[in-house]
Amino acid sequence: MGTGETSVRALSDVSLSFPAGAVTLIMGPSGCGKTTLLSVLGCLLKPQVGSVMVNGIDVAAAGEEERARIRRDQIGFIFQSFRLFKALTAVENAMLAMEISGEKGPQVRAQAERILGNLELSEKRHLKPDELSGGEKQRVAIARALMREPKIILADEPTASLDSQAGERITRILRDIAEEQQRTVVMVSHDEWLCRFAEKVVGLHDGKVVESPI
Amino acid sequence: MRLALRNLLHDPTRFVVTSLGVAFAVFLMIFQGSLLIGFFRAAAKVIDTTDSDLWIAPRGVVCFDLAATLDSRFREIALGISGVESVNPISVNFVGYQIPDGQHRTVVLIGADPKVGLRFPLPYLPDSGGALEPEAILVDETNVPELEIDAVPSAVEINGRRAHIAGIVHGFSSFLGSPYVFASYEDAARYSRLGRQRAAYLTVRVARGYDVAAVKDKLALELPEVDVWTHAQFERRSQWYWVGKTGAGAAILTAAVLAFLIGLVLVSQTIYATTMEHLEEFATLKALGASKRFTAKIVLTQALVFCAAGGVVGVGSAIPVVKLAQNAVAWIYTPLWLVPVVLLPSLLMCMLASITSIRTALSVEPAKVFRV
Repeated sequence: MGTGETSVRALSDVSLSFPAGAVTLIMGPSGCGKTTLLSVLGCLLKPQVGSVMVNGIDVAAAGEEERARIRRDQIGFIFQSFRLFKALTAVENAMLAMEISGEKGPQVRAQAERILGNLELSEKRHLKPDELSGGEKQRVAIARALMREPKIILADEPTASLDSQAGERITRILRDIAEEQQRTVVMVSHDEWLCRFAEKVVGLHDGKVVESPI
Repeated sequence: MRLALRNLLHDPTRFVVTSLGVAFAVFLMIFQGSLLIGFFRAAAKVIDTTDSDLWIAPRGVVCFDLAATLDSRFREIALGISGVESVNPISVNFVGYQIPDGQHRTVVLIGADPKVGLRFPLPYLPDSGGALEPEAILVDETNVPELEIDAVPSAVEINGRRAHIAGIVHGFSSFLGSPYVFASYEDAARYSRLGRQRAAYLTVRVARGYDVAAVKDKLALELPEVDVWTHAQFERRSQWYWVGKTGAGAAILTAAVLAFLIGLVLVSQTIYATTMEHLEEFATLKALGASKRFTAKIVLTQALVFCAAGGVVGVGSAIPVVKLAQNAVAWIYTPLWLVPVVLLPSLLMCMLASITSIRTALSVEPAKVFRV
């Protein structure tokens, strides 16, 4: 990444696959390349060499618009700082995932309300992010990630901004999504206790894989 | 465009501050524009009220107010040229004006006969079929305090000769510092002591069916000692003299141009700053897979709403303030066309600022969303 003297090799010799129906946890110290790996998996960054196959498509070779389409249609994102839109209610935040591709109307709203209901947020669907707790915000973010029924869920430190109880709840939800809906869930975290919820744990150090499945 | 509108309403303080930024810019442009246009208008107001096609003026006269005198023979020569329907003299002179308590003022005495035009302010006798009241003068309403006029009619002296104020006119405020006073050509000639034969200008009406430009050329050929202008040319000449050749006019022109530029920069800066505040949200949208078009629509919608809100407030506040300012600067004037002339470039700047900020918003690194 970067150019000239400031360039760094963020990831090197990384060869990984992420199974469907399971949670994969990526762990490692700060600066080891976890977020870079997640950005590459999420088609947000393009690797300078190598390939990244998402459901059979090499996204490293795809153009910007194509990668945006893959992000929109096949990947659900969950962020540490939620990244909800403060001006929108919970249900509107969830609906936004559909609206960015021009899909709107009562069906979209009904779908958002159903997913929020599954995440026990029915009564809070008309509240804005500032009126929700951290755990509730993260559940709204999960609802938004699930709206387009993506095959892949990428979660960056999803529990870091939450207390332990809310963090565990979020992790259980993500594991249930992986198992019950056969989705690929990839989580990045510092929290070692999350290992018990993951089928596969990947250790990273200085941009290289140092551990294999537990 | 729910997100665009909700973002605006979510932070009412920010919405008000941004709209006020645009409103102030619009206000500034309209106010300074009104000063400039009013100045232009006042510089040619008297010319505008004549029903003339051509003006014959002493050679080199730069504007209506700073007149010289013409010899009477020019009128006779002009009347002899084919296509000339009528030639009517106008006199313009700085004269002494004395109110009954003995105080003196200098006024610009303008004299003309009814043939010069029905809109020209002259002391007509009521129900007289167009006859003028002798020894009568008219003054503008804005000069009433300066000339200490308590009642109409009231007696005054002009260059030591008796006159009386017969009426008050509107919209003839002079920016020269010396009020305009209107009288019949006969009386004005007497008050100025120049006599009927020494007019400042001759206004020419061209007969129907004749080409004004051709008659102008003929007059210029026959009267090489004078200048011949079309009505519009003489208006522009007077206006540009005051705006371009005098300190006050240049200051007003400079202020208007600067206000326009500052206003446009202010509008674009305000819109740009507001978009930049939402850069994180645009990064999130991009990460979620939103197209460039989707993001651009949000930014443009927000810019349009700010421009509309700011424009309404700016115009809505500028017009009453201009009216209020007329108490101090009587000639300030806001024509209706000034509103779109200000709003359209403002809208354009809003769009340009949006496009610039859209470029930044669209080039934002989507991986930014993983940073806290």
